[in-house]
Amino acid sequence: MNPMIRKELRQLMRERRGWVLPSLYLLALGGVAIFVYFQTLQMHVNAVRFLEGPDIGIPLFLAILYTQLTVLLLLVPIFSAGALTIEKEQRTMAGLLTSLLTDTQIWWGKFLSSLLFVLLLLVAGLPVLSLAFAFGGVGLWELFIVTTTTVVILGSMSAVSLYWSSVFRRSVAATAVSYASVIVLCVVSALLYVAQEATHRGAAWANLPLRARAPLLANPFFFLTLSLTDPRELYPEWWVSAAIFVLLGTVAVWLTMRNLRRNIDAV
Amino acid sequence: MIEVEHVRKSFNGTQALDDFSLRVKKGELVGLVGPNGAGKTTLIRILSTLLLPDRGTVSIDGTDVVRNPASIRRVVGYLADQSGLYQDMRIRELLEFFADAFHLQGTGRNDAIENALVRAGLESRAEDFVEGLSFGMKQRLMLAKTLLHSPSVLLLDEPANGLDPIARVHLRSFLKELNSQGLTILISSHILADLEDICTHAVLISDGKNVVDEEGNAGIALRQAGRKPRLFEVELLGGAEKAAAALATMPGVQVLEAAATRLRLSIDGPDDHIADTLRTLVSAGITVTSFARRGSGLEQRYRAVFGGNS
Repeated sequence: MNPMIRKELRQLMRERRGWVLPSLYLLALGGVAIFVYFQTLQMHVNAVRFLEGPDIGIPLFLAILYTQLTVLLLLVPIFSAGALTIEKEQRTMAGLLTSLLTDTQIWWGKFLSSLLFVLLLLVAGLPVLSLAFAFGGVGLWELFIVTTTTVVILGSMSAVSLYWSSVFRRSVAATAVSYASVIVLCVVSALLYVAQEATHRGAAWANLPLRARAPLLANPFFFLTLSLTDPRELYPEWWVSAAIFVLLGTVAVWLTMRNLRRNIDAV
Repeated sequence: MIEVEHVRKSFNGTQALDDFSLRVKKGELVGLVGPNGAGKTTLIRILSTLLLPDRGTVSIDGTDVVRNPASIRRVVGYLADQSGLYQDMRIRELLEFFADAFHLQGTGRNDAIENALVRAGLESRAEDFVEGLSFGMKQRLMLAKTLLHSPSVLLLDEPANGLDPIARVHLRSFLKELNSQGLTILISSHILADLEDICTHAVLISDGKNVVDEEGNAGIALRQAGRKPRLFEVELLGGAEKAAAALATMPGVQVLEAAATRLRLSIDGPDDHIADTLRTLVSAGITVTSFARRGSGLEQRYRAVFGGNS
């Protein structure tokens, strides 16, 4: 096993956030599940037809799904953006760079350990997400594809945060810029789409030019929404979005590897 | 063992090393001496593979540092200036991590970790967290960690910074011991008395360039018995004139100053000669309360070379 991964996970799990964050995360998801359940019941009090399982299952699934992605996107910078800066702040980077660990091992150790912790939260949230099964309207395929999509998004954002960690010397700066990156992808891309779409009012999604659709394809929430389409309709949109996120992550990895031995005066 | 030929390195237009050359033979303990910003840290970082030189060649044990950094890391132990430790790890965990980082395996790995614990004097505290150690203890642990993979060359950048006097004494004797075991050591430090005590040679550097002393030497031989007279300050309970008279006939001993309770001596000769001088004083009925080496030759030469820069 890569010694970096063992060291990073051991240090991470020893910190207070190692157990506080999963607890808060599950409380938040549980809270959302309870709220949506009772809210749905309330909405159907005066309904003409009987309330059926999927009437609760589908909104429950969607609410937990988007809440989960929101929380995890907020947590990724906390774990990844400080991964390399902490070595510079503690002045332990020189020890790593002059050992026999390769740059790839150092990067992989940092990336995997921070991503694994976020994935731990994702896995811990699966039972809450699976509550929707009890009501119906959601199957294993939906659970699989949304989890896969979330993992791609988190992996990409984790790589981007790690890149910022390789650029800056201070965790505060790296974390702030990582959050800015999340905001650009989630909010700015949506605003760009809205602005583009306004100039093509009334046009269906498929009829919009690529320039108008492109910003939204790089939006994590839109990517997640695409995963909910019929499996036969995943191509091309879902695949294009997936390619964008994989490409973003790959470029971030390449740039991080280039930066690892730069700014060496700070190690 | 260490060969640096006409190395240049600049950062954003500032020349950190400017045609600097250095040669350290196997088994030598060489001090790198110069004012702040002279280029000492840059040189040590190039040797440790952390930085690449802009020009010139650098090799350790015949291996080019730029072309084959992984091979260099196998034989070099590097202790950075103000380097840190993982505070939230246990001491044994920290050593295990670096043993794995240097690809140590099996019983060799376990032996290296136990040896490091003994070297650092932390056998009984192996399960303690690093953050609970004193600064001096941390420095010993860092040095022990640096030696985990049994390097043949040790690069130390200001290792005595922040250490209390006792810890400095420990560090000096530890480095002497390592050097006597055949380790080649290059050390940069501002504590000239320490360097003079332990180093076989000192090399002067300023503005990234080699500096020669007033005698035209780029390197200064230090720990070679009889090469240069050494200065001593002796404190007595009176009888300074009697003491001076007793020493007058000793070859190689020159009384530079004789105050009421203090003598300043210059002793030229091997270590035995120093012991003989002290024995002569005691035999002459002089009560000696202190016999200490002072006003190091290195310090004098440093002042002569760097003047106000020091």
